[in-house]
Amino acid sequence: MTNFSLSGISSFSSAQLKLHFEESSCRLDLTGLPDVSASPSDASDGAPGQRLSILTGWELNLGQRAALQGKLEHLQALVAAVQPYVRHLVSNHPCPQGDPSSPVSLEPRGKGHRLQLRSSQANTEPLDLQLDDAELADLTQCLDQMLQDQRLGISLPLPAPQPLRRREQPRRKGAATGWAAPAAALGALLITAGLASVIPLPERKRPAAQPPAPTTSQR
Amino acid sequence: MPRRGLERLDLLLLAIEALDLHGSEAMLWSCEQLGLSAAFPDRVALWKSRCRNPLRRASRRGELSSQEQQGLVQLVCSLSQRLYPMLRQLLSSSEPEQLNSQRWELFSSRYRELIQERMNEKRGAIRLLIDSSEGESLRRQVVQTLLFCAGPGGLQRLEASLMDGSR
Repeated sequence: MTNFSLSGISSFSSAQLKLHFEESSCRLDLTGLPDVSASPSDASDGAPGQRLSILTGWELNLGQRAALQGKLEHLQALVAAVQPYVRHLVSNHPCPQGDPSSPVSLEPRGKGHRLQLRSSQANTEPLDLQLDDAELADLTQCLDQMLQDQRLGISLPLPAPQPLRRREQPRRKGAATGWAAPAAALGALLITAGLASVIPLPERKRPAAQPPAPTTSQR
Repeated sequence: MPRRGLERLDLLLLAIEALDLHGSEAMLWSCEQLGLSAAFPDRVALWKSRCRNPLRRASRRGELSSQEQQGLVQLVCSLSQRLYPMLRQLLSSSEPEQLNSQRWELFSSRYRELIQERMNEKRGAIRLLIDSSEGESLRRQVVQTLLFCAGPGGLQRLEASLMDGSR
């Protein structure tokens, strides 16, 4: 569910814009300003003055557990970690996203997912959150709604989801046991053939020489 | 679409039927709502498309047309969004444990029944899926896939996932 509100700020000539995206355990608020220099044709939905093109801040509330604030680069890092991670989850192949130097990283931990957020301020420990599938799904839905919202004029470059390569695909359970029966049959055949070749063949006894039968002439 | 993608797509639809007692009716209604009547004009056409799954007891030869593929993917995503609260409950750790285990038991028994009714039980993949212990993680994966393919970006994710191994 998304809401859009306009609130005036006395010190600015333009209005501050706010976008809200909300799910059961997650709420994402974006605050920003419209790009008044943009031409009307740039705004695909509504007037250009109602398109959030300059992000001044964002806040992510994960239920009662954490409230995060950040700048555009942190939001980009969050999207860049969550979207590919979830894409891999749909293929049942969870794959860690984000390295220890990036502001956001996401990896599987236990039955859930470990979301780590690193502050740009020095001497600040990274925030370590354990999300279950439902919480991660709520976060994903909020980010999906934000990315597809026409009122957001910020570009968050994200490659389209791609199929996994053959070598990346998780091995299907039972694929190994599927070959077990034919392999056992072939093995049994080879062992039988090997044993049969070891067993000596019985010597063929020549029949004892018999006196030639008397030939009788027939008339 | 690779064979494995086709199998997964049908098993996802079967999971939707297991979650929703009126799942088959909801599919027909969603087909109309999504404008998929050209691909699936009636329940027989939908059933015929689903029977392209090689794991089915009465499987049909041939491949799905791109219109049918796209339609089935849209149908799964739309129904996942409709069932999102239920899927969320099943995979949430904050739900009461006893209640959730009852929900899982109900889903698993219905899913197993539907699989035994429609799928070829001689196939290893099916035997694993209906196995009470081994199949638990597989059934959880199916529900997880449905959960993450709900929502505005779910369609693209599911489409890409079903094409796994094709590049």
